Amino acid sequence: MIFSPRSTTGALALGTGLLLLLPLAGLDHFLLDVLASGFLLAAYVGSWDIVGGVAGQICLGHALFFGTATYSCALLTSLAGWPFAAAAAAALLLSTTAAAVVGTFSGRLKGPFIALLTLALGELAHEVALGQTFFSPRGAYSWGGEGGIPVALPWGSPSPWASYYGALLFLFLSTWGMTRIARSKDGLIWTAISGSELTARASGVDVARHKRRAFLVAGLLAGAAGVGFAAHVGRATAADFSLELSFQAATFAAIGGRGTIVGPVLAALLLHALFQGAGIAPAARVLLYALALLLVLRFFPAGVAGTLRERVRERNMVPEGASR
Amino acid sequence: MLPFAQVLLDGLFTGSTYALIAAGLALILGVVKVVNLSHGAFFSLGAYIAYALSTKGVSNPAVAVLLACVIAFAFGVFLGKSFINPVRSHPFSVAVGTLGFAILFEQAAQMLWGPHPVSIGAGPPWAVVDGVVVRRWGAISLIASTVILLAIALFLHSRFGLPVKLIAEEEEIAESVGMDVEKIRYLTFGFASAAAAAAGVLLAPATSITPTMGRVPLILSLIVVIASGMENIAAIFLLAVGLGLLSNVSAYLFSPQWSYVSLLSVICLLLLLRPEGLSATMPGRDY
Repeated sequence: MIFSPRSTTGALALGTGLLLLLPLAGLDHFLLDVLASGFLLAAYVGSWDIVGGVAGQICLGHALFFGTATYSCALLTSLAGWPFAAAAAAALLLSTTAAAVVGTFSGRLKGPFIALLTLALGELAHEVALGQTFFSPRGAYSWGGEGGIPVALPWGSPSPWASYYGALLFLFLSTWGMTRIARSKDGLIWTAISGSELTARASGVDVARHKRRAFLVAGLLAGAAGVGFAAHVGRATAADFSLELSFQAATFAAIGGRGTIVGPVLAALLLHALFQGAGIAPAARVLLYALALLLVLRFFPAGVAGTLRERVRERNMVPEGASR
Repeated sequence: MLPFAQVLLDGLFTGSTYALIAAGLALILGVVKVVNLSHGAFFSLGAYIAYALSTKGVSNPAVAVLLACVIAFAFGVFLGKSFINPVRSHPFSVAVGTLGFAILFEQAAQMLWGPHPVSIGAGPPWAVVDGVVVRRWGAISLIASTVILLAIALFLHSRFGLPVKLIAEEEEIAESVGMDVEKIRYLTFGFASAAAAAAGVLLAPATSITPTMGRVPLILSLIVVIASGMENIAAIFLLAVGLGLLSNVSAYLFSPQWSYVSLLSVICLLLLLRPEGLSATMPGRDY
């Protein structure tokens, strides 16, 4: 009964208490920073699960929405001189627009072809971000490319405590919102599309419109995570668009159980905190993620949490039937 | 005009070798019926094997091609038998899993050989005609890939290729007449991976070898199989040469990075203009 709703609530409450207490229990700044970026990554992975898990669209370019938001923040604050709040609003708008475009095009495509299109679009954005270098307005040093573009923040560099609690609050609000969306009427329709597009269409669902809406919601939330990341790190780099970042979203979701929202969020948070907290180099980390993904896909086709839950349910059903 | 003639000739050489990779991807799509995103990783594997051999003083391309083919065949059979066959009815697991394998290889290559580009000496030119250099690697790869492609075409037309064609078209019938469909699937996967690795060895002197170098031929082969289907090897060859020319010309006119950008733009346009894509050739599955 590990995964029954009641005990999940209890476990989540315990986790919340622990996470709120941790900074007060004397965690050093490095670990606070690791956890804060972990919260933002987890929210980003949760947003992937809206379109990739709940709606079942294989999106391999989710970093496109994340990177659009971080780059908008960086370019608008540093180059155009906008205040951060205005740039953040514009960034949300732009990443949602990007998601609307991708969603519209994906509406006509199926299965693996959505994967190809999103992968290609993400890689295009990554190449453009890598290739664009230009001189900064003040001084003759270059911006863009691998080094990225700084984000002009009104508060200079934020205190690790503020980042930690801000990111934690954002993660809670967005996870709560996403679970609500997943259980709403729209969420149910998306689940139906994920199950079988043909059946959904036969029941009178406008499949293309709902695919677009799933992308829209996911893009908005991924953009919000990107804005949070820009505010936390203070820099937008080409890695924000990378295939590795898109791949991580799908990986954590597959490990945590696609379509459960909470599962992918927890998987991202735990694995990121564990691997980065232990100081494993980025290349080795992505390698371990890929390895974990391949094992999970091979042995737990419905994700670890999903498959375990199925097994628990099966085990619980047998004695009940026997006693009758 | 001479530099441009040079660019076109080099484009012909690389394009004909890309045709080898595209033919492998088409075989996997036709017989195993999955879109294999790890195909580019086998190309990089071949290039790194050629590099590792050249640092040991072995520069004979035939040796490198043979070794790379055997290694890639082994990995391909493992991937096909232990991963693709059990999950191939789940589109998500196939797409993300094969991408995961490619990323696994990229990160492993980065840890083994470093993130920075490495290269192999291209050797002396083979001939110089009117100021246009016919490069040694170019001549070798044009001949080798044409020979391998002809061998594949002959095999498919022969008696021995019949099971492969039958599985591609009528899987149930192939099964009912007692063919070991699963075995033929993973063997095809192994052979196609070996072809990609051979292309990697052949093109190793032409490019800078980086962990992510396999992404360019992967996108190129995807374009080829989406646009030309997988029946006609001649069409695959012509299209791959055309795209090789396109990527070489855009690298020459702008910068090397643009060859990837132009290919990415082509695949996006193709998917937008032909949204039905390969669905006619994929099995009747409701995604």
